[in-house]
Amino acid sequence: MLPDGGADDEERWLAEGIAGVQQNAFYMHRALDSNNLKDALKYSAQMLSELRTSRLSPHKYYDLYMRAFDEMRKLEMFFREETRRGSCSVVDLYELVQHAGNVLPRLYLLCTVGSVYIKSKEAPAKDVLKDLVEMCRGIQHPLRGLFLRSYLSQISRDKLPDIGSEYEGDADSINDAVEFVLQNFIEMNKLWVRMQHQGPVREKEKRGKERNELRDLVGKNLHVLSQIEGVDLDMYKETVLPRILEQVVNCKDELAQFYLMDCIIQVFPDEYHLQTLETLLSAFPQLQPNVDIKTVLSQLMDRLSSYAAASPEVLPEFLQVEAFAKFSNAIGKVIEAQVDMPVVGAVTLYVSLLTFTLRVHPDRLDYVDQVLGACVKKLSGNAKLEDSRATKQIVALLSAPLEKYSNIVTALELSNYPRVMDYLDNSTTKVMALVIIQSIMKNTTCISTSDKIEALFDLIKGLIKDMDGAQDDELDDEDFKEEQNSVARLIHMLHNDDHEEMLKILCTVQKHILQGGPKRLPFTVPSLVFSALKLVRRLQGQDGDVIGEDVPATPKKIFQILHQTIEALSCVPSPELALRLYLQCAEDSKAQITAIHLIIGTLQRMSIFGVENRDTLTHKTTGYSAKLLKKPDQCRAVYACSHLFWTDDQDGIMDGERVLLCLKRALRIANAAQQMANVTRGSSGSVALFIEILNKYLYFFEKGIPEITNTVIQDLIELIRTEKQSENSVADPSTEAFFASTLRYIEFQKQKGGSIGEKYEQIKTT
Amino acid sequence: MNQYVNKKFSNQYKATIGADFLTKEVQFEDRLFTLQIWDTAGQERFQSLGVAFYRGADCCVLVYDVNSMKSFDNLNNWREEFLIQASPSDPDNFPFVLLGNKVDVDDGNSRVVSEKKAKAWCASKGNIPYFETSAKDGTNVEEAFQCIVKNALKNEPEEELYVPDTVDVVGGNRAQRSSGCC
Repeated sequence: MLPDGGADDEERWLAEGIAGVQQNAFYMHRALDSNNLKDALKYSAQMLSELRTSRLSPHKYYDLYMRAFDEMRKLEMFFREETRRGSCSVVDLYELVQHAGNVLPRLYLLCTVGSVYIKSKEAPAKDVLKDLVEMCRGIQHPLRGLFLRSYLSQISRDKLPDIGSEYEGDADSINDAVEFVLQNFIEMNKLWVRMQHQGPVREKEKRGKERNELRDLVGKNLHVLSQIEGVDLDMYKETVLPRILEQVVNCKDELAQFYLMDCIIQVFPDEYHLQTLETLLSAFPQLQPNVDIKTVLSQLMDRLSSYAAASPEVLPEFLQVEAFAKFSNAIGKVIEAQVDMPVVGAVTLYVSLLTFTLRVHPDRLDYVDQVLGACVKKLSGNAKLEDSRATKQIVALLSAPLEKYSNIVTALELSNYPRVMDYLDNSTTKVMALVIIQSIMKNTTCISTSDKIEALFDLIKGLIKDMDGAQDDELDDEDFKEEQNSVARLIHMLHNDDHEEMLKILCTVQKHILQGGPKRLPFTVPSLVFSALKLVRRLQGQDGDVIGEDVPATPKKIFQILHQTIEALSCVPSPELALRLYLQCAEDSKAQITAIHLIIGTLQRMSIFGVENRDTLTHKTTGYSAKLLKKPDQCRAVYACSHLFWTDDQDGIMDGERVLLCLKRALRIANAAQQMANVTRGSSGSVALFIEILNKYLYFFEKGIPEITNTVIQDLIELIRTEKQSENSVADPSTEAFFASTLRYIEFQKQKGGSIGEKYEQIKTT
Repeated sequence: MNQYVNKKFSNQYKATIGADFLTKEVQFEDRLFTLQIWDTAGQERFQSLGVAFYRGADCCVLVYDVNSMKSFDNLNNWREEFLIQASPSDPDNFPFVLLGNKVDVDDGNSRVVSEKKAKAWCASKGNIPYFETSAKDGTNVEEAFQCIVKNALKNEPEEELYVPDTVDVVGGNRAQRSSGCC
């Protein structure tokens, strides 16, 4: 091994080596220029002797090697010229270079002449190569041996008796080419592994580092194998792969196993892997226990899934070779075999398998669930995950199906999905919940049944309520707002055209968000309120007939829900919000009022209906009027309904009894409103109602409805007076004015005289 | 590289490990040269020994995939890395050649780097010659290498010529060296 020298020393040794190479190269060039073979051999051997050093690290040695390599190309040209000219036969040359005193220069020279030998075709390539690969056994020093064999590999790179190459021999020559490379590979791997066990223990780490630098020299052979034209799938399957794996497994060296498995996966084509999955995967459980199998296996799965994604036409092959089952199986075995594998390792494997599944078998939801299930099984021994890398992988695992299907509804069908989530800590549960909501938003997924919503809220419960032992204090206010706004947005995405189901959805959402506590309610309640009001509008927008007793979705019920929901805000220090929401609901009832008045107006003018139909319609209209949210609105709607029963048209309906009924009903409502106002020390609004009703009475009085007598009117005037006085608050000037002008009107009519004047005569206004 | 030297092309992705090395004899202006072409590994993890083979190159061929903006964006890094590692005596005039490869893919419909953009880059780096190639069908490969040889020979006083290489499947680049010799 290298002695411990400073970097400066090493630089110096390298400089010395380079100087040695350059100097000898100079004399070698002179010999080449003067066609002096003997001197050329002498100086090239001396130059190559610089490579006998043991003092350089692999990097520096490589530098020196490259300089010698360049010079050797010139020597090779010279050899070729010599043999072409006939001044020296290649066979003689092959003998001659073996007289070099030192074994290392001798073998470099031999390889160089060997290259010329093969090119000359005076001997079959396979014989020369076989001889060279055997001779190289002469160097057992790992570093020097690796570079020498690497030299052999480089100069023979374009001279392998491959199919179609000019050096192709008889039918079996492809086997010779493969055999040559395999043998060189095996010898190099042995040297490389042995390096680990030579030298003092204290330099173990340094050796590991140096070995790592040298790895490509070994791996290069696999690249060469992959480039050999004649290595078709059959040969790969029958010879190449088994031989490589045999060496990899038997060398029992962690570094070599990890690196070479990676090489195999990267240098050979996808379809070869697919067709030899079983063989390749069977090697994994045989590797040393500390080999980072998850990385290698993940790379294999990633590679094959990219292959499937890029070439859909190969998908049947994946099915044919049962790729999923094989991977799934292999992962199970690896996890079982590597007892010490940390959770993050196992989860990473499942992420790769899931990615593979989603890309290769997007239609197999059962596979996806199976992967998640296997993950749950692996996690089941643990409590919540603490390892942040592992939780990150779980998030990746759970996000993958969302990305793939762009539809949370699909994920909701995965029975193991929530089970995996159970292993996440509180903050990661939230992260995942946000990922889910974002996915819904991004894809504008509509979630349309209460069952699915139940499942969804279970997944995002981290955002919905305080979790056990959660410390929300550390959560940034901004973040919290952002989270809850997401939930609020989500509520708007829950929709079903069926009113009954929509009501169920609202109930489900209500049930969940009411658990949110005072911090969350102000964010979530408004969404629910608006969503519910939307349903109310929809109900109104359709045929009024649904309002039967057996229909569950009625505006009344919804308003009850709304009431409950908004009431929940009472525990929250945000009365303003509650008020605004109530007003929003009221806003809606205003629309109802407008609608009712429109209906009344229209109906009053319609003469097309038969008695029965008209009766139904008027009945419904009065019914609705009395069901409006606010008493004053009820009152006004009901007295307006009186017009439905008295029309001036010919053959119009003239039902004084029912007119009176409406007005009396309006009075009762006004009375109730008045009482409520008294209780709550409210405004004088209700008196105005009485005055309005009085005006209606007067209207019908003038129309001559027999049921409306001056006594009735007189009583009403008195009632208003009493109510006004009993109102302890300051009288509302507009009400006063309204009442005064109504009385003035009565006086005015009296003075008019005639039949009208007579009618009014008995009504006292003072 | 394989298309140029062996007239072969494979659609399969096979990673390069270490530096791949091929030679080819070329006729140029009545002289025979042996071109050494070195192809670097596109993935850093397969370049464990570094790039000592850059040194002494006569020309450096940078290759990107016209269908990948990332491979184009990486050109600057490859070029600078080459100049640092090879440390040629006159870096400003060191011969580079740029190849925009895979022009055959999807009849050019998936192309994301325009010829104009590539040429602008070449102009900004001291008028680097530019070729649009297809390693698959061989389009412009021969022409590109003729240019590479010509540029490498111009640089001959440096004693050794470097030539870069060709087909980058992953969108990396390759350096090649060529030693001129008769």
